[in-house]
Amino acid sequence: MNKELEHQFVTELENNQNIVHKVCSLYTDDRDSHNDLFQEITIQLWKAYPKFRGDSKFSTWMYRVALNTAITLYRKSKRRPQTRDYDSVIYKISTEQYDPTEEQHLKLMYSAIRQLGDIDKALVFLYLEEKNYSEIAETLGITEVNARVKMNRIKTKLRTIINP
Amino acid sequence: MMDELELLKKDWRQREEHLPRLTYEEIYKMIWKKSSSLVRWIFYISIIEFTLPHLLYLIPSVRDQGNFEFARRLGIEGWMMAMTVVQYTVAIYFIYQFYKRYREITVLDDAGQLMHRIFRTRRTVKHYVIFCLSMVLLIFLLFIIGMALDDNLVATLDLHGGAEEMDPKKLKLIVIGVVTVMGLLFTALMGLIYFLLYGLLTRKLKRNYWELKRMEA
Repeated sequence: MNKELEHQFVTELENNQNIVHKVCSLYTDDRDSHNDLFQEITIQLWKAYPKFRGDSKFSTWMYRVALNTAITLYRKSKRRPQTRDYDSVIYKISTEQYDPTEEQHLKLMYSAIRQLGDIDKALVFLYLEEKNYSEIAETLGITEVNARVKMNRIKTKLRTIINP
Repeated sequence: MMDELELLKKDWRQREEHLPRLTYEEIYKMIWKKSSSLVRWIFYISIIEFTLPHLLYLIPSVRDQGNFEFARRLGIEGWMMAMTVVQYTVAIYFIYQFYKRYREITVLDDAGQLMHRIFRTRRTVKHYVIFCLSMVLLIFLLFIIGMALDDNLVATLDLHGGAEEMDPKKLKLIVIGVVTVMGLLFTALMGLIYFLLYGLLTRKLKRNYWELKRMEA
């Protein structure tokens, strides 16, 4: 039974690992920290897995655990020298972009997002993941109205960075 | 021109292709690793904070010739006994409360609720620390009262080296003064260690909690 549960869990996580990687790329600056956070999220997901009822999708459930870990539970294990070669997705400019102004805008926006506080980052992340406000509110434990107000402020901020 | 945020969303989706990918085996290995989460740290540190004051009693000099013998000579051993009983009873109560709260912490709560529960768990330990520090101060106070009421402090404390020739009143004032300063310093030091440890541990948590609270204001 336990073996079966392990297999089920690892398969689900393997299929949905992108979500965790995306959270890690937003909340960490180097490859070691990325892996550290990924591991901690995995442990937390596994610990909570027996309570996962299956009445929501595995991926929906993952957002909550992954963000809770990044915002609340994760502790950097030790200070590491900054690795410059880190090619986090958020730094990498995708090859599909050819327009140099667009590329510049994206770069500016990503660097602005990286400077946001942990909670604001979570809001932006859920927004980019096409979550609706009721889901965002539920994940963070704030009201829907407040989620909307806050997100609008962040959006305005991001727009003024590009069009000052 | 396309809205910048829509552009960002589009780009965000495209970036998925560049994400790292772990294999089944790599993920499988991870689920057996030990967590180093904040909650686990809080748990360990709280256990240390609960046991530390009691471990002191295991040192023979503190237990045998130390406080109790001294207290007996000062005639306050009954009070000391009572305080020890109170201290242990309260400690057991706090440990039970702490464990109950700790069990309530679940990563399945929303972020706000989760942080709130962690703070509540930690608050239980904080109250216990405050209780312990008050007890330390009280014990010092008890000794000071005992000494103030003692008519022959030189004999009670078994003082040598010229203390016998000193004015008893002056001697008493000096001894009481020294014990008072020691008591205050000791309590302040213990308090500093406790709160520094706790403060460093929950710095990030506090920041995020207030960020969330500000949104609700």
